[in-house]
Amino acid sequence: MSTEVATPYEPVAVDSTTGLLSWVSTVDHKRVGILYILLAVFFLLVGGVEAVLIRTQLAIPNNTFLSPEVFNQLFTMHGTTMVFLVGMPFFTGFSNYLVPLMIGAKDVAFPRLNAMSFWMLPFGAFLLYFSFFTGAAPNAGWFSYAPLSTKPYSLGPGIDYWIVGLVVMGVGSIAGAINIVATVLCMRAPGMSLQRVPLFVWIMLMQAMLIVVTIPPLNSALALLSVDRWLEAAFFEPVRGGSVLLWQHFFWIFGHPEVYVFALPAFAMVSEVIPVFSRKPIYGYAFVAGSSTIILLLSYSVWAHHMFAVGLGTSANIFFSAMTMLIALPTGVKIFNWTATMWGGSIRFTTSMLFAIAFLIQFVIGGLTGVMFAAVPIDWQMTDTYFVVAHFHYVLIGGVVFAIFAATYYWFPKMTGRMLDEKLGKWQFWLWLVGFNGTFMVQHFLGAMGMPRRVYTYADNPGWALLNGISSASVLFMVAGTLVLIWNIVSSLRHGQVAGNNPWDGFTLEWATTSPPPETNFDKLPEIKSRRPVWDQQHPDLADWKFAKTPADSGSRPDRAKVCAWAFVISEAVFFVLLLVTYVVFNSQATGDGPTAESALDVRRTGIFSLFLLASSLTFFFSEWCLRTSRRGAFLFWLATTILLGITFLCGQGWEYYGLIANDVTIDRNLFASTFFTVTGFHGLHVTAGLIALAIMFTLGRQNHLTQEHAKPYGAIGVYWHFVDVVWILVFSIIYLGVFQS
Amino acid sequence: MSSDQLWNWTSPVWLVVAVLSIGYLRLAHGRNRAQLASFLFGLSALAFAFVSPVGVLSDGYLFSAHMVQHLVLLLVVPLCILLGLPREQSERWFQNARLNRVGRILAIASIGWICGVGAMWFWHVPTLCSTAAQEPILGFARDFSLVAAGLAFWWPIYAPASRYRLDPLRGIAYLFSACLGCTLLGIYITFAPISVCPVFANPVDRIGILNALYDAGLTPGIDQHIGGLMMWVPPCVLYVGAITSLLCRWYSDIEPETRIRKDYVEPRGASI
Repeated sequence: MSTEVATPYEPVAVDSTTGLLSWVSTVDHKRVGILYILLAVFFLLVGGVEAVLIRTQLAIPNNTFLSPEVFNQLFTMHGTTMVFLVGMPFFTGFSNYLVPLMIGAKDVAFPRLNAMSFWMLPFGAFLLYFSFFTGAAPNAGWFSYAPLSTKPYSLGPGIDYWIVGLVVMGVGSIAGAINIVATVLCMRAPGMSLQRVPLFVWIMLMQAMLIVVTIPPLNSALALLSVDRWLEAAFFEPVRGGSVLLWQHFFWIFGHPEVYVFALPAFAMVSEVIPVFSRKPIYGYAFVAGSSTIILLLSYSVWAHHMFAVGLGTSANIFFSAMTMLIALPTGVKIFNWTATMWGGSIRFTTSMLFAIAFLIQFVIGGLTGVMFAAVPIDWQMTDTYFVVAHFHYVLIGGVVFAIFAATYYWFPKMTGRMLDEKLGKWQFWLWLVGFNGTFMVQHFLGAMGMPRRVYTYADNPGWALLNGISSASVLFMVAGTLVLIWNIVSSLRHGQVAGNNPWDGFTLEWATTSPPPETNFDKLPEIKSRRPVWDQQHPDLADWKFAKTPADSGSRPDRAKVCAWAFVISEAVFFVLLLVTYVVFNSQATGDGPTAESALDVRRTGIFSLFLLASSLTFFFSEWCLRTSRRGAFLFWLATTILLGITFLCGQGWEYYGLIANDVTIDRNLFASTFFTVTGFHGLHVTAGLIALAIMFTLGRQNHLTQEHAKPYGAIGVYWHFVDVVWILVFSIIYLGVFQS
Repeated sequence: MSSDQLWNWTSPVWLVVAVLSIGYLRLAHGRNRAQLASFLFGLSALAFAFVSPVGVLSDGYLFSAHMVQHLVLLLVVPLCILLGLPREQSERWFQNARLNRVGRILAIASIGWICGVGAMWFWHVPTLCSTAAQEPILGFARDFSLVAAGLAFWWPIYAPASRYRLDPLRGIAYLFSACLGCTLLGIYITFAPISVCPVFANPVDRIGILNALYDAGLTPGIDQHIGGLMMWVPPCVLYVGAITSLLCRWYSDIEPETRIRKDYVEPRGASI
């Protein structure tokens, strides 16, 4: 921990401040945030059109508007788009724009990384949507359950595009989240202790931490699926010893926390909107903040409630059922906080507040049906019916999208300097309220009546046609509402009322600067002595700090390079743990079929090469020490030794691979070979990446660009290099020494 | 099966309980009711772990009962003992240089973490797990080491003197990573196709209850399944509870009260 307050890197100079190039080359967090939001809006329209097509097909029984194949592609792309290209970018965009402003920083911790994180997204989206041009868009659902997604059942390239697109977008998401974590922890203005940050910032910090550990399980699953599809392994093929449930476990270890990756920002947004429009501080700040932390911790232990129907066993079902009910508590407590904040407040029913209130009610409905699903027998009855569709759309649209609308009306003036029109806003609100509830409320009944989900059409059973008709017709209201919003944005940008710095009499620091803020965010910051510095500034008699003390800021901020390195390492650790779990699952019992670790591996030889890798950690430590003490020659010597030791280890791995392949032990041979090559291969890739980073450092060092002042970023590379060694110790123990073998 | 067989009223654990109770009542001056209740609850849990069916069944019959006993000894008993110690008296005890040194060593987070999570993993290495269930001396060593490791584990969070405690945010990271540690072990035990503790796969039917257990559905496979889930879910719930208390500690005394505005007029008329 350093004691001085971190100052941001100097803003990167951009030649022009207007024009397309300035947007493409920008590293300003506000512009990157707006790019995220615009991308999300574009794909909201794309995903919306897909939804309209789906509902058109389902409007009447036995419809032939879409073929089954196209219907499957549409619901797969609708889900994938809404999750990865709408939900995540919307929140990352708002987070990017607002977090540095709210903590009084000039930019995020790593502006260039921020721009890279964003540009991964359109790149991934392009790969995903390019699949349509190949004639085979992904069609196995957004969850791509195995074995449907494996080669024998999905021959076309659609799933391959899906895998690559998701990996690319996942990399961007993790990098973006690491940036937010580092920004909140390291870049806060003096006075902004962690107990004083706005709830939006705290909850977005929790969300970013969740993303850091949530995406890796998906990447592990995608890695295994791609090895299955491209290299003919059989992780998910039961006929060859694989397990289809493994995919479900991995996918939902990602998928369920992902729900909270969506829900937490919605909580964050309404936690800012409701207090301002109730003209009161949030009721129970600590409860809202603390319960968000608890959600983060619990979200990892409830994934199997998506798998109640697959036969995990009664005991597992009971435990996961209990945990699922438990996680309803920290979610439910917030509803009371928001309600109590409104209680006794002088409420202004702006469009933003209306959306926030509707969020409260609709999210409670979605939450209650969620608790119903936590009861295993109800789940068995309702799973795979339209009741599920209704449930999660109440959470994701009634909750999340309504919160996004509330946030849009609330922060649009800050982002553009113009107010959105309130009258048009209220039109949009009522159109969406009617449209949303009309579309999805009836789906509860359809589900209870037994209508299955993921089917392209249905028979004319009693009542089904009417309810589906209502559901499809109501979509028109949401379409009309969206058009009103677009019109509102276009006309407000041109003729909207000028917003001024603080049109809502808001509390937090983003309202202390101009609308839109200048490139470096603030000319002058108000004194931060409480959770509502702008309120304190504007109402000195009623300043929060006079009535209730918050812990003073100690001024210490961790080093941002170290925070970044540790967050990255934690993310990578989750990825490797799941790959190692895969190894243990498939190799803890001898199957007597083909090569095994005992028969195929030379433990002694690899043990010797392992020593080279372990020694490289030591030599790196020496090089770091020499850099800190400005001994250039010794630094270069130890760094070169580290690189040579790393290369020697890789040569050892290459030797081992050559021997195995020569003996016909290839990745498609059996599950031992598949898991062995996957785990050691990914480790080898990480060592290679580390060596490239070290080689860059060596070149910089030789050119005298690396000096004592770069010791901290250099140390961050060290964190990664030591991590790669620690992973190898685990790999060696589990694979070569067979710790988990019977 | 008779219910008498399932209780071991003559367990030597009563001696330990008696010694600890007398020691506590005589030495722990300045205790309040909550501390007394906590300590007594801890001792009851200790007795429960050996005297009740949990103790009897964990003696070579059910892996899941063994898991309950393991968790009570490692997590519940030490936690209650630490929470039961009176603050001021403990401060006086730990002014002693030697005790202070012990307190400081235990306050090193990595030591507590390795003790707590390590004890869970260590005693579930298949051969050790089986041998400890069969050899009374090793079994005693295991039980004793579990309580000791539990004290070391909880020390950085709930040490009676606040100078030994981690700051709340670090404490949360400490507990969360411990939760991940037992989650991984829990997942392994729950889904492992092999018997983690082979002695429970082929129990010696000392008191003739094996058929009744199997008839109740507690076959070795399901038993291990439940045991793994016990290792996984209840500790994590306990850790989340402790994390909640740390969050309370972090935010405590600083929660602003809702102020009444100067121009606010109390509504008249309806009263509740």
